[in-house]
Amino acid sequence: MASISFKHFAGLRQSTLDNHHSLSSTAAKLKPIIRLRKITASVNSPKLSGRNLRVAVIGGGPAGGSAAETLAKGGIETFLIERKLDNCKPCGGAIPLCMVGEFDLPLDIIDRRVTKMKMISPSNVAVNIGKTLKPHEYIGMVRREVLDSYLRDRAAGAGASVMNGLFLKLDLPQSPNAPYTIHYTAYDAKTGGAGQRRTLEVDAVIGADGANSRVAKCIDAGEYEYAIAFQERIKIPERKMAYYENLAEMYVGDDVSPDFYGWVFPKCDHVAVGTGTVTHKSDIKKFQLATRNRAKDKITGGKIIRVEAHPIPEHPRPRRVLDRVALVGDAAGYVTKCSGEGIYFAAKSGRMCAEAVVEGSESGRRMVEEADMRRYLERWDKKYWSTYKVLDVLQKVFYRSNPAREAFVEMCGDEYVQKMTFDSYLYKRVVPGNPWEDLKLAVGTVGSLVRAYGLRREMDKIEA
Amino acid sequence: MVLLSSSTTSTRIPVLFPRSFVSKPHFSDYHNPYLHLSKRKKTLFSTLSNGATTDNGAGFETSATAVIGENPLENNPTDSRPKSGKDEEAVGPAATAGGEVETAGVRKFENPKWVNGTWDLKQFEKDGKTDWDAVIDAEARRRKWLENNPESSSNEDPVVFDTSIIPWWAWIKKFHLPEAELLNGRAAMIGFFMAYLVDSLTGLGVVDQTSNFFCKTMLFVAVAGVLLIRKNEDVETLKKLIEETTFYDKQWQAAWKDDTNSRSKTD
Repeated sequence: MASISFKHFAGLRQSTLDNHHSLSSTAAKLKPIIRLRKITASVNSPKLSGRNLRVAVIGGGPAGGSAAETLAKGGIETFLIERKLDNCKPCGGAIPLCMVGEFDLPLDIIDRRVTKMKMISPSNVAVNIGKTLKPHEYIGMVRREVLDSYLRDRAAGAGASVMNGLFLKLDLPQSPNAPYTIHYTAYDAKTGGAGQRRTLEVDAVIGADGANSRVAKCIDAGEYEYAIAFQERIKIPERKMAYYENLAEMYVGDDVSPDFYGWVFPKCDHVAVGTGTVTHKSDIKKFQLATRNRAKDKITGGKIIRVEAHPIPEHPRPRRVLDRVALVGDAAGYVTKCSGEGIYFAAKSGRMCAEAVVEGSESGRRMVEEADMRRYLERWDKKYWSTYKVLDVLQKVFYRSNPAREAFVEMCGDEYVQKMTFDSYLYKRVVPGNPWEDLKLAVGTVGSLVRAYGLRREMDKIEA
Repeated sequence: MVLLSSSTTSTRIPVLFPRSFVSKPHFSDYHNPYLHLSKRKKTLFSTLSNGATTDNGAGFETSATAVIGENPLENNPTDSRPKSGKDEEAVGPAATAGGEVETAGVRKFENPKWVNGTWDLKQFEKDGKTDWDAVIDAEARRRKWLENNPESSSNEDPVVFDTSIIPWWAWIKKFHLPEAELLNGRAAMIGFFMAYLVDSLTGLGVVDQTSNFFCKTMLFVAVAGVLLIRKNEDVETLKKLIEETTFYDKQWQAAWKDDTNSRSKTD
């Protein structure tokens, strides 16, 4: 086992390093490539006359909001359909630092700045993470209702029409370049609570409607494995809340989740306590109880104000683009393993998809086609595939069993690991590590794994 | 597990202790009711809690004063629920005075040699040296116990024991030697038999074989094989592992398989 994990680890660093080079080179090359493709696209696709390209964005989360904004800014007639405008979605709500800059978010939508993390192993060894953070660095905690509505408002400000409606289905065109017909139930001042069925004709569709995506169903995108995340929002006494001021906790262990972690995240005025699992969904209540139990001293006296559960995609859907329909965000399945992060990737994928549409249509003057949508897919996979893969490997190696988790927590105590982890989390870029430190880390990790598995063997003997 | 499951009682509690009643004004109002509660809870709630303690959840041991130490979070909004454990001791001596407050309902790992969150190495001394074997054994037992009785994490009473304080040779002695004996024997037997086989088939002697590139490669493969496949099940495990590592890649590449088909259609 140990030698195998060693291989994983060594390979892992190698791939990230390679990727770093390809990343920087693609960033440099990207522009000329786009220009080249632009020419081909304009040759193939017909020019639109009398109107601009019409694109519907289904779903008004971070993915939909940022897609709509980019589209509208790019001169495309954009319709954003969101079923509930003040929806408090069940979500951890953590965003990396780079999202604040990249999406130009105002600082007041960040409720809390997490600068400390505590990882707690199955045998309750707690490791503090965050010593390596610089003073200006933090993980932002947002409320989704606030973030989502901010991004939607900005899209509306850029010229997108934001509509409150429930997307029902999508009629695929029978001939090339014919419009898509979107059926939806509109809710507005005129329709009242019951809503009114309406249709909308558009040239392209961006499906940003989350894990239970109806757009994905309409284009037969296939299913994905999903994890179920269960979360309770708990209002705890102020004195206890002070402890969670800027601290998040992660609990690992078979009791908490067989394949994920349990968490206590600080929210605006309460904490979110939750856990997730793919393999043992029916036991989720039991895991939640265990999570509460492990955090018990710190949350006793709390009052549950909200209970939520939500599916989290584990991998991308088999089909993410069909003709002029593209999926982004959770609908496409862009949630990382290991950390379960999705907000940044959703917003980013929405924006990248919209950029591809804007480029392909020459700012809305031409029809788009599948190749334009594919370009988004290509860029996305090139840019982020390695990130997803690394986290997948980490999850597979370290969330495998209790001894592996013990080793994981031990490893996280290392400052070098913390620095690397935070750098890649906060800035979403892979920084080449120091080879000597990497080697030390690899040896140290193997040591931790060997010790932990050694103890496990001893534990098995006790039973016998 | 839930003792004060009746929300009406718990919401009424603060009313019983108005502000003027608060004895220690420097504590936050939010917290104060607990102090009084824990003093009086026996008289106030003993009947109540006894009635509600029918289900004690996942086998937690409850302390003598049944009101404290249970998981408060399951469906009862108990702002005013008395808290348990060290917190209270630290904040309110009044609460502990009557001896009513005991530590949380979850059983903590206890062992005379486990002191302040670590193994007291002095107690493991044997002939003036630490008996690391016994430490490893004790830690294995502790982890085993914890697996069946997950313990609440605590900041006041942190676990500081780190397995890396056990020197490397202790681990090797404990785990590696018996295994190494077996593997060595196995490798030697395979080597001897292969050398014999190759010699009889090709006429190459043992000395000639060692200078042959092919034979050296085979030697390497044999050693790797002996290390990786220790039991018959290991073959299956290895196969599964390879499948597992490529599974995620396949999921990502699915979109591109589709791509080649549709591209060839459109082109």
